[in-house]
Amino acid sequence: MKKIRIGIPYALYFYEYYPLWKEFLTRLGAEVILSKPTNKNILDLGVRSSLSEVCLPVKIFYGHVLSLADQVDYILIPRMVCVEKGAFFCPKIIGLPDMVKSSISTLNSLLVPLVDVRKPYGTWKNSLFQVGQLITDNSLAISRAFSISWENFQKNYVANLLDPKLLNPSLLAKDTKNVAQGLDKMTINININIAVVGHDYLVNDSYINLNLIDKLKKMNVNILTPSMVPPRIVKKQLKKLYKPIFWSLSRKAVGAALYYFENKVEGVIHLTSFECGEDSMVGELIHHQSKQYPEVAYTEFVFDEHTGEAGINTRLEAFLDMVRRKKQYEINFAPSR
Amino acid sequence: MKLTLPRLGNIEVAYETIITDMGHELIEPPPNSKRTLDLGVRYSPEYCCLPLKIVLGNFIEGLELGAEVLLMAGGWGPCRFGYYAQVQRDILIDLGYNFKMLIMELPRGNWKTLWDNINILRNGKKWSYFANQFGLAWQKILLTEKLENKILQVRPREKKKGITSRVFADTIVKIKKAKDREALKQIEREALQQFDEITDFKKKNLIRVALVGEFYVSLEPFVNHHLEEKLGYLGVEVVRKNSIRAWVEPIVNLHLFRENIKDEKEIEQAAYHYLAHSVGGEGQSTVGNVVLAHQEGLDGAIQVIPFTCMPEIVAETILKKVSEDLDFPTLTLTYDEQTGEEGLNTRIEAFIDLLKMRRRKGVMVS
Ligand code: SF4
Ligand code: SF4
Repeated sequence: MKKIRIGIPYALYFYEYYPLWKEFLTRLGAEVILSKPTNKNILDLGVRSSLSEVCLPVKIFYGHVLSLADQVDYILIPRMVCVEKGAFFCPKIIGLPDMVKSSISTLNSLLVPLVDVRKPYGTWKNSLFQVGQLITDNSLAISRAFSISWENFQKNYVANLLDPKLLNPSLLAKDTKNVAQGLDKMTINININIAVVGHDYLVNDSYINLNLIDKLKKMNVNILTPSMVPPRIVKKQLKKLYKPIFWSLSRKAVGAALYYFENKVEGVIHLTSFECGEDSMVGELIHHQSKQYPEVAYTEFVFDEHTGEAGINTRLEAFLDMVRRKKQYEINFAPSR
Repeated sequence: MKLTLPRLGNIEVAYETIITDMGHELIEPPPNSKRTLDLGVRYSPEYCCLPLKIVLGNFIEGLELGAEVLLMAGGWGPCRFGYYAQVQRDILIDLGYNFKMLIMELPRGNWKTLWDNINILRNGKKWSYFANQFGLAWQKILLTEKLENKILQVRPREKKKGITSRVFADTIVKIKKAKDREALKQIEREALQQFDEITDFKKKNLIRVALVGEFYVSLEPFVNHHLEEKLGYLGVEVVRKNSIRAWVEPIVNLHLFRENIKDEKEIEQAAYHYLAHSVGGEGQSTVGNVVLAHQEGLDGAIQVIPFTCMPEIVAETILKKVSEDLDFPTLTLTYDEQTGEEGLNTRIEAFIDLLKMRRRKGVMVS
């Protein structure tokens, strides 16, 4: 029998949830086809099929969906509403399946399981079960596939978290003035920690962020991301705010930013999309908090389909210059603790 | 305590009743103006939605007049509104203002804050008095909305241009001053009678358009560039789909206002085929209301949205499909601080022309 082919758009929340779905579906015998990493063609497809007012990540999602359309039997677009108490996904993500359906009339088979853990029928288990039933009638097999995939998903999540040692070189350099003074510029470079915070699909999609991460790596910078910060710490950091944040995607980004501020990494870069409602608000919150940590350099990069690589390069270099100067200054003049 | 609140349409009719009568000093923010907008725009994050900016402008103007306490509504997502107060507070603190912000929202777990806030407002007055004044304030808002909806029918039929708005402005002043429900009834009777006198009942079969979209922009004439008036002068009868009433009732008490919950369900049902889940703000209602407007035999619908508004962008995307499927014209007007009068007028007039043409064709066919 031919395997059912299920397409997964490599965009938006799938940066976080792809491993879960992939393992689950594969275990049940479906063939999972992940769209290619974002490229020019995908962007163009997305821009052409969506309204111009829509944020870049959603446009790109459209592009991924279209790029899959004639290769698969179904395309998976879960309706992500709520995965934790007190927080939601952004309105555009909640309405994503309907938006895609309205704009792209040629699509026939979307799989739209609901993920809303507040509701008994919206739990992860039920949501995956719904999709599993399409592939097989064997409930037992579905249950088993779910348990194993879920466990592995949790395990991998933990494995990707921050190793606290990663932060040490910088703290060391600051604390022991004598050692640090002996360091030449090159070594200082290696000790620079830059946190790149924002939604996963901005931080990890090198086409959207114009290779920002690679660029930083080439500059010998140690890169820290929101995914490295354990949820427990995110939760604790968010308590600093006057009001809890009610967007899951931004909670992680803001919590991570606050954590990295507190740990005095050398720099924090907040990646945002133009026309993103969440970013416009949390950007202001992060900015406000950053003022309490003058020793941490902070900047915000805004992306949309017109952002040019040259501009980003210039700004990145300027930012790193500032970081280095700050650091040099501290090494020379800051009192040792 | 010197207290100020944001503006929204004619909502200030209720302010004296709940602020001044409780023994506070009401600092009424000046009517929304270019200056309000400029102030809000200057100090808000660039990409925030327009309502946040204007309300920030209201607060700054209120603070300039000596306000010490800002009263604001809150919420819990998924839309940005629930975070307005927090961001505005941060900005105003950074600007160096000294104030206290009272945020009225249904609490998450901690009811004490809401309780405390209510007690600050009550200001030691008797509970019965407090409840009575709140009831009266609510009646004022309901009456104002009722008359606002009424003049949408009167204006396109008025005997003398501009008279409807003048009569209505006088009525608003009276509602503001009214001291009890009896007075409100009297005002209503008089207003309705006056409206009848200025209406030319011979004008029939006007073009009818539903007004849908984001709550604040659709209800604040300064922000939507007096859209309802514009349409009225073009001889169009507007059917307003948003209301303060529909916004507040489900929040305040799910049990007291059963009938309205029914309306909400109906709108949801109508949207379901196109947008199966609420997306915060008015997103799903916008879609549902357009479907209903089509069923009600209206000629078209106008959706008004602030630039970057998340739920309305979802709705706008989906309305394209709705409009195609139902052969029902819709126009989306996106507002930001740069929205110009002329461009807007051109688009509105072109849309109304389209609706008129469709009518003529329709008549010929049938
Ligand atoms: S969170 Fe922002 S970037 Fe992501 S879908 Fe929503 S509006 Fe777009
Ligand atoms: S509904 Fe739109 S304008 Fe209103 S708060 Fe939400 S995003 Fe902003």
